[in-house]
Amino acid sequence: MGTKEINISIKEIETEIGNIKDLRFSVGRLAQETWDEPQGPTPFPSMTALRNWDLTLLNRYKPFYLPFCDLCCLCTFGKCDLTGDKKGACGITMPGQQSRIVLLAACIGAATHTSHARELVTHLIEEFGSDTRLDPGGLNIKVEAPITRLVCGMKPETLGDLETVLDYSEQQITSLLACTHTGQEGNPLDLESKVLHTGMIDHLSMEVADIAQVSAYDLPKADPNAPLVDIGFGSVDTTKPVILVIGHNVPPSVEIMDYMQDNELTGDIEVTGICCTGIDMTRYSPKAKIIGPISWQIRYIRSGIPDIIVVDEQCIRTDVLDEARVLKIPVIATSGKNCLGLTDRTGDPPDEIIDDLVSGTIDGALILDPEKVGVVAVKTAMEIAPRRKKDKKGIFLSHEEAIELAKQCTQCRECRRACPNDMHISDAIKAFSREDPAMLAEIYDSCVGCIRCESACSEEIPIHSLIVAAGEDTLRNEAFRLRAGRGAIQDIEIRQVGGPIVLGEIPGIVAFVGCANYPKGGNELAEMAIEFANRRFITCTSGCAAMTIGMYKNEDGKSPYEIYPGNFEAGAIVNVGSCVSNAHISGAAVKIASIFARRNLRGNYAEIADYVYNRVGAVGVAWGAMSQKAASIAAGFWRLGIPVIVGPHGTKYRRMLLGRADHDEDWYVEDARTNEKVYVGPVPEHLFISVETKEEAMVMIAKLSMRPNDTSRGRALKLTHYIDLHRRLLGSMPTDIHRFVRMEADIPITMKEDIVAILQEKDWKETVIPDPTLIPKKEVVQ
Amino acid sequence: MFEDIPVDVGLVHEGERIRKSDMQFELGGPKVAEKFELVRLKPAEEIESGAIHIIGPDIDELEEGKSHPFGIVIEIAGPELEENLEGVIERRIHEYSNYIEGFMHLNQRYDIWIRLSRKSFKKGLTSFRFIGMAMQELFRNELPIIQEIQITFITDPEEIKPLHAEAMAVYEARDARARGLSDEDVDVFYGCALCQSFAPTHVCVVTPQRYANCGAISWFDGRAAARIDPKGPIFPIEKGECVDPNTGEYTGVNESAKKRSMGEVDRIYLYSGFGYPHTSCGCFEAIAFYIPEVEGYGIVHRGFRDLAVNGLPFSTMADSTAGGRQIDGFHGISIEYMRSRKFLQADGGYEAVVWIPEEIKERLKDYIPESVFGAIATEKDATTIDELKAFLMQQNHPVVTQWTEVAEEPEETAVITAGELPITTGGFRILLKNARIYADKVIIQPIQPKKPGRGEKQ
Repeated sequence: MGTKEINISIKEIETEIGNIKDLRFSVGRLAQETWDEPQGPTPFPSMTALRNWDLTLLNRYKPFYLPFCDLCCLCTFGKCDLTGDKKGACGITMPGQQSRIVLLAACIGAATHTSHARELVTHLIEEFGSDTRLDPGGLNIKVEAPITRLVCGMKPETLGDLETVLDYSEQQITSLLACTHTGQEGNPLDLESKVLHTGMIDHLSMEVADIAQVSAYDLPKADPNAPLVDIGFGSVDTTKPVILVIGHNVPPSVEIMDYMQDNELTGDIEVTGICCTGIDMTRYSPKAKIIGPISWQIRYIRSGIPDIIVVDEQCIRTDVLDEARVLKIPVIATSGKNCLGLTDRTGDPPDEIIDDLVSGTIDGALILDPEKVGVVAVKTAMEIAPRRKKDKKGIFLSHEEAIELAKQCTQCRECRRACPNDMHISDAIKAFSREDPAMLAEIYDSCVGCIRCESACSEEIPIHSLIVAAGEDTLRNEAFRLRAGRGAIQDIEIRQVGGPIVLGEIPGIVAFVGCANYPKGGNELAEMAIEFANRRFITCTSGCAAMTIGMYKNEDGKSPYEIYPGNFEAGAIVNVGSCVSNAHISGAAVKIASIFARRNLRGNYAEIADYVYNRVGAVGVAWGAMSQKAASIAAGFWRLGIPVIVGPHGTKYRRMLLGRADHDEDWYVEDARTNEKVYVGPVPEHLFISVETKEEAMVMIAKLSMRPNDTSRGRALKLTHYIDLHRRLLGSMPTDIHRFVRMEADIPITMKEDIVAILQEKDWKETVIPDPTLIPKKEVVQ
Repeated sequence: MFEDIPVDVGLVHEGERIRKSDMQFELGGPKVAEKFELVRLKPAEEIESGAIHIIGPDIDELEEGKSHPFGIVIEIAGPELEENLEGVIERRIHEYSNYIEGFMHLNQRYDIWIRLSRKSFKKGLTSFRFIGMAMQELFRNELPIIQEIQITFITDPEEIKPLHAEAMAVYEARDARARGLSDEDVDVFYGCALCQSFAPTHVCVVTPQRYANCGAISWFDGRAAARIDPKGPIFPIEKGECVDPNTGEYTGVNESAKKRSMGEVDRIYLYSGFGYPHTSCGCFEAIAFYIPEVEGYGIVHRGFRDLAVNGLPFSTMADSTAGGRQIDGFHGISIEYMRSRKFLQADGGYEAVVWIPEEIKERLKDYIPESVFGAIATEKDATTIDELKAFLMQQNHPVVTQWTEVAEEPEETAVITAGELPITTGGFRILLKNARIYADKVIIQPIQPKKPGRGEKQ
């Protein structure tokens, strides 16, 4: 840890080579002398160190509760009904309980990334040594780990340094989780402050995980021209043995590919991935292929194409073994966090495990040694594939079989009730049974692959397989190109966009991130990304969202990554990588403060968050957010003052953080130049909001990209997009334009007449563009 | 505002690209010799306000799928306007044309390239009259200093020839005037506070001979912007007394800097990287960095991907340069400033420059004095200080003459370099691995058997 230095001073010493006088030396785990930036006020902040900043935000964006469940059933006093003014047996209120569950979810998310990072770092240190230098982006990156610098006040240089960061993350998450115990924190705002703390820790751990794997595995280093890789079911050569890897933690996949390379098998076997492991595999080797986001698990397994399934951790269907068993596909579990009930074979010789898997003596094995996973997975796939070829048809039903099954439907409609997206499954099945597959094929496009419909079906019809049968043509033609995750954003790229942003040529930064629980299929997300890239926003993406955007073709058959550049610039679509690469998006926002204003990052969280909040027009969109990780990722953005929009399922995160545009008193900042309070309008209006439709989301993105520091040219451009999208998509002029115009120069010239009329009607008054801050100077000094 | 125009007009169309297969026709572009756009200032009485003239075939008469000669002449009048601003106003043609749905405009001056989309043509965009109407509306609205405006479109292949020649002459005269304009010739400089939205203590001073660091704003741009929007982020600075013509210190600039930086900066040398250098935000195009070993400046630009000759990449030096601070020897600049005769004048100008990446050196070929051009190294000539020294000596670069005056300081050398250095003290054994020890003083004594001291027993 940066502060744990050992200083030794020796007046005189006799050694084998001579007498040494006045010898002084320091031993610390970090080479502190290479970083002369002064330490800020909050290195390794405690749970409460940034509480004032949190409350500043939370007083503007008060939690708006959407209880997903009216009861608390966490202790044996319960269940306690918390509706109305009722309190639980421990005294907790409904708001307290909702915020408490949000904290719990955020802790699960942050713990997951932290544990993932820990496993990765431990493994990489074992393999490469703790002195391995961190190198996330070569010469074009000066600020190698912005979040770590900001939060911990330390500048990590080696893999070993990252352990210190993880020590801190683990300690914080333990304390944060403790707060959710019965009879601990019950004040909603204090709980929310802790949610923000959890989010910050989450981004810290994500940064650790990604810079560790980028450095050690030599993944693309902040490379805008990272290779284009294959994505989609149709890109797999099914004549070869096929390995499927599902999850997030890439070492087992790396070992699979290394084993193939070492034994000259690359090209003989298809290595395919689902979810973030897929993304990270293609960052390691562009020959790997991605099948799709998490929702493709069932359809791909049931296709019978994979000859072996390797799972690591996170977002893996817990019934993967059951599904695989049906088609006699062996499964290897590789993580202590996800053992699937399998026997631990880590200590056994690979050949014995392979024999057992190939012969079918066992369904699968737990192997907690990535290197051994590499051997076993590859050899098993090679041996088993020729035998399985003949029945590779899998559950892809023949047309006749499918129709027969559809005819068994009793129209009880339980499937529709069970469907998270309320799709008209039973109607579609009825039509399908009458040889009209169109409706069911349409459902294929929107299906999130949860197979709750099957569990609900009284006739035990394999509904998902029927849907896939109807969409089989689509599925088989899914072959697209995705730009492999590039990692961090270069300092140089950030410098390059500074000018265009203040000159009003780039309206903002939008990040499409998160899972694949889309309300109406993935195309909506791709369409949003394309729309904002066309509008010259800097468009970033990661994880399942990045995959989804890639799984789209224009009329020329090109995917967005083949059309839009991968540089961090106007009109780009920038895939940073997997879930843990999200830290590069928040990291880029943080770097802006260092690069343009030369603000010190070191242990200086509140000042930098205030800078980002007031100046960086970034918006996060998690259209299909599903997981607890998504909750903690969002919370990390909130603490930096970056608003996040979620799709309709996002209401199940239990509360929004909404601003009140109508409360003028909420929207004053201090002008650092004059120390006067200045009204800046509701910018950004919300910190966390769920919207129903793609159209509402797009209008909201444009609106939430506004910031108090916008130059007039910048504001005019942002307003243009906001008004244009509102008119086109919602069919009307927005009613709040007057709140966003500070002076006449802010008015988009092509809309001048209309807007001037609105301003007159609203009794608008001109104001100034301040040097905005929510933290008065004296507080910064403390 | 644009009700009479059959297509949409708005900022959202700015990024629109029209592919060849989607175009009705092309105006100008690489296949056509005569193409231009020109803004001229005229006395108000010579302008027929609001007029739109079309010389030659109109949109609906031009052959589909072909490239046609094309000229736009915009004549303007207004008491606040001056000839100096013509170029700045002319560049707005590009911006405004692109607001029109299905009308793509690239480049400027004699190089314009326009495509009209078939879709917009079908929607009724069949006459240049509509283009003219949209432009007039936009010019008047955004630039209220324009009081009278008339626009002429030329497509006639014969009529355009003399007009094209005239336009070329105007560009040349304009460029000569701009190049000839020096900081001494004007009373007013311009300050640009646009970057304050991200770097609150930085203000650029834009003079005829010192472009803004970002490379995007010239003195003429500043002048136009300050007139158009007097309350905007670009403002006039009365330059005041010249304190020192060599360093470029002006009382007015100092006062403005003090006020705008909240007292952080109170003196500015416009033409030096030392003493009180001009500050930078983060978006400077290049850095002039002083190399003490050779007493000269290296230049590194944002696009340079390798280490500069001093062993540092752009990103590291940029970190030392940015944030509105005055740092001796790290100076954020624009490429255009390197074309100025005042470029680092106080430090010796190009005679003090020893290393420039080849790409930039090539771009600046016409602006670097011939006498020193060959003596300035690029990454091809030197990638380390030692190589640079050798190159400069070999080329007899002007900085070399200064070297002899300074006596060489002995380099610090390690007294002990040991792979493993064991130290035994009070019951511990400390192993220093790969230790290098520097000492103020080294005493070497022959080891002699210890003589028993007084009071010590044998």
